[in-house]
Amino acid sequence: SGELYCSLPNPRNVHFESVNMKNVLHWSAPEGTGDGVLYKVKYSVYGVGKWIRKPECRNINRTWCDLSNETSDYEEQYYASVKAFLNGMCSDWIETTRFNPLTDTKIDPPMVSVSSTEKSISIILTAPEKWKRSPEGESVSLLQVYPGLQYNVSVLNKKTKKRWWFSISNNTLVVPWLEPGTAYCVSAQIHVTTPLLHSGFSKEHCIATLKDKTA
Amino acid sequence: EDVLLPAPQNISILSTNMKHFLTWSPVIIQGETVRYSVEFQGEYEREYANESWIPICECSLIAATVCNITEDISATVAYNLRVRADVGGRRSEWGTLKGFFNRITTSLTPPVMKVIADGYHLLVELEDMGPAFQFSVLYWKKGQENRMQQKVVKEVSSVVHLDTMEAGPDYCVKAQTYVEAINRSSSFSQTQCVRAQGGTSMWL
Amino acid sequence: TAGNKIFQFGPCKVSMSMTEIRSGFNAIKTNIQARDPIRTLSILSHPHSLHKVKPSDRCCITHHLFNFYVDKVFKHCKTEDSYVNRKISSIANSFLSVRRKLGQCHEQNQCMCGQESTEKMKQILGNYEGLNVTSAAIKSLGELDILLDWME
Repeated sequence: SGELYCSLPNPRNVHFESVNMKNVLHWSAPEGTGDGVLYKVKYSVYGVGKWIRKPECRNINRTWCDLSNETSDYEEQYYASVKAFLNGMCSDWIETTRFNPLTDTKIDPPMVSVSSTEKSISIILTAPEKWKRSPEGESVSLLQVYPGLQYNVSVLNKKTKKRWWFSISNNTLVVPWLEPGTAYCVSAQIHVTTPLLHSGFSKEHCIATLKDKTA
Repeated sequence: EDVLLPAPQNISILSTNMKHFLTWSPVIIQGETVRYSVEFQGEYEREYANESWIPICECSLIAATVCNITEDISATVAYNLRVRADVGGRRSEWGTLKGFFNRITTSLTPPVMKVIADGYHLLVELEDMGPAFQFSVLYWKKGQENRMQQKVVKEVSSVVHLDTMEAGPDYCVKAQTYVEAINRSSSFSQTQCVRAQGGTSMWL
Repeated sequence: TAGNKIFQFGPCKVSMSMTEIRSGFNAIKTNIQARDPIRTLSILSHPHSLHKVKPSDRCCITHHLFNFYVDKVFKHCKTEDSYVNRKISSIANSFLSVRRKLGQCHEQNQCMCGQESTEKMKQILGNYEGLNVTSAAIKSLGELDILLDWME
């Protein structure tokens, strides 16, 4: 077909949204275009000479495209670009800023599991896994990606309303000498010093110490 | 012919706990508001960038005689600093700090600390002094000073759990700050001692 | 936290305020990388990635890269933006103090240079000289996170 006339307004806010290195390209529709706009996506590895089209995101009407597979090597950096089409017209290619999966991803909170005895609670923390191609794929913990990863753990005594903080590098914590028959709520956050990354806090996991049998 | 505006004098640095301030004496011109501008020069600028000076825009044409230079003194090298005065289109020569300033000379004060006994748990509350600071917390059973234990606290978040305590003896705690960037520590805070609460424990 | 890191290159130990350097870079990363329109060429990571460097050559490459940034790059990165210039000064002065420590290791023969590191540096300098000096300097500054990621 003849060269398209590229005067369609451009897609807006083209950017990567990344969680645990699941890297999804997002954008907003061009201003004032309503329905019917289709999009194409391409990406490139920074420093390598070519743009690569993403077939699964060709002529799509949604405003996102999962590029996790194409950007899974976090030793590289990437650009992605989007072009809009409507009624024979098209927009310019609009690019992201340079995307660095290692520093630009967000990290989910750790998984928290808690058990209790009469006088203690035991906490096991599990860092989230890096995105993987398929469920059968090899699991890589973010602990391997960020060796300096630490956990900030908060333990709240529901009776006294007092909150204690622990900062640990390994993934288990036992808090001894607690009051029997008392509810404690645990929440944890991941903290990486460099590059500086924080997860949010996990939701609170509450558990009660067992009642004192001798009382 | 316009009288030359005198350059600011008594230029000095106040640096405590990695917060650095440049101060100087005011230039007095009757009936006029004198304004001042500050510039800095790191070792890199002296040796590799033709001795160039870099303006601090937060301290450009200010009326105050103090400037917070903390954000710009962000390497452990020798810095030069200078100030000049402006009033009504007249401008003074630069007044330059005598000697260099290196943040390694900042004065470090002992941390504000509160020790808490919560049941059989020994806890400490530390003042947040900013990202450059860590805390070395020492604790021991009273009378057993030779068996001190240490905990390094990197993230200050209100009440930090140190350890569990046995019923009976007092437990004593003291803390000092440590700044990795300059590899220096403060002196220790006052020692505080507490005892496990609850005396004869209902669950022992 | 302060995020000082002790880098161990064989017998050579160098402490570095990584968090300060990274926060200085993050403050200007988007601004500096936006000034570099060339997507198809990298100074540090192509054609050969730093990640392929043998451990034994890491000290030498790091030493040469710090020299490269201090001697060649920072001085050509002056911008019209005084905030950006202040952050560049902060990074440059931090690099200067680290380079001094690396230099001491190099002088005490604890930072040996093998064939590979010599080749790698030749390639980096070749990439650098392939551009006009301001473009090359801005591109190199925009790739600082590639160096920091590799070091960590």
